[in-house]
Amino acid sequence: MTTSTDTPAQITDTVRGIVAEVLAVPADALSLDTDLRGVEGADSIKVLRMIARIEREFDVELEDEDVFGVSTIAEVSDVVRKAL
Amino acid sequence: MTTVEQHPTNQHYDLDPRVFGLFLDESRKYSSGWYLGPEDSLELAQQQKMNLVADLVHAQAGRRVLDIGSGWGALVLHLAGVRGCDVTGISPAPKQREFVEKRARQRGLADRVRIVTSPFEDATGLPTKLDAITALGSVVHMPDLPAVFGKARGLLRRDGLMYVSESCFRSQAIRARFDEVEGTDFVREAIFGNGELRPLSELVAAAEDAGFSIETSVDLTRHYHRTIEQWIENVRANRAALERIQPGIAAQLEHYLDISNAGWGYTTKHYALVLRNAR
Repeated sequence: MTTSTDTPAQITDTVRGIVAEVLAVPADALSLDTDLRGVEGADSIKVLRMIARIEREFDVELEDEDVFGVSTIAEVSDVVRKAL
Repeated sequence: MTTVEQHPTNQHYDLDPRVFGLFLDESRKYSSGWYLGPEDSLELAQQQKMNLVADLVHAQAGRRVLDIGSGWGALVLHLAGVRGCDVTGISPAPKQREFVEKRARQRGLADRVRIVTSPFEDATGLPTKLDAITALGSVVHMPDLPAVFGKARGLLRRDGLMYVSESCFRSQAIRARFDEVEGTDFVREAIFGNGELRPLSELVAAAEDAGFSIETSVDLTRHYHRTIEQWIENVRANRAALERIQPGIAAQLEHYLDISNAGWGYTTKHYALVLRNAR
């Protein structure tokens, strides 16, 4: 499991890896400000699944506003970092 | 009045029975299991769940029970066969009645099992002074919840028990946010037919207003997640057989089950309530 000692860059890498896996796209095709809901093949269900994986990975429970409000890898990484 | 053939839930529940046989467990129970250990199979979890429900409504030999939304008869046959109850099941899907009656005959339970084909809201001539009523994931299909609880309470004897379990929006705020999104619509309209997800608070309010006392609540969400994971595994394992029965059905089922499972805890919860017909 990923831990609270992770650096912001490590958190971002882990988040990017999970996003890439759930959306089935190469990780290097995702920039930090890519709109996750705008990626081809993404839908609200996949975004939710992504969040679930991220919460499990970091052992955190994000606030609803973040779960349903975040739209980029940078934003997800930021709320994860704050929740750790 | 809605006729049986037109009833919106029938689009899903009156599919070829073989379809359900290929992703549900042998009992064809189409609702959450109850898992006691990490290695529990789907079959075991469903047996454990039916025993839990039976215990919660004090189902003993000779007790008279109505199962609303009896489906493929798993709970009806369990209550009659394992607990010795006298059970009436009600469901709007005609193929389900034939299936359950056949199983009841095969198991020597025909004198203790009766199936009524009708929407519950319209049904007349149902047994009264019942000891218990069960409704597992069926009131989601009934738009007028106060009327359903009022009718159910009228069929129970004083102190009779009702077990009702339902998928719920996690809160009023989540409902307001998600009632109209694409995934919810797909589940509600394309497959479930007339599904009305409500927050638990609305179920509790309707039960209170109908005059019930609320005895117990159970959070089944994690159990349902695991149940659906096991159904998805079965759909994948039996994809070829499913496609032979109805081309496209495997993908449709997997999509539907996938959407349901993604939402647990975020948008949806699955709760059970035990209600008592008493002050």
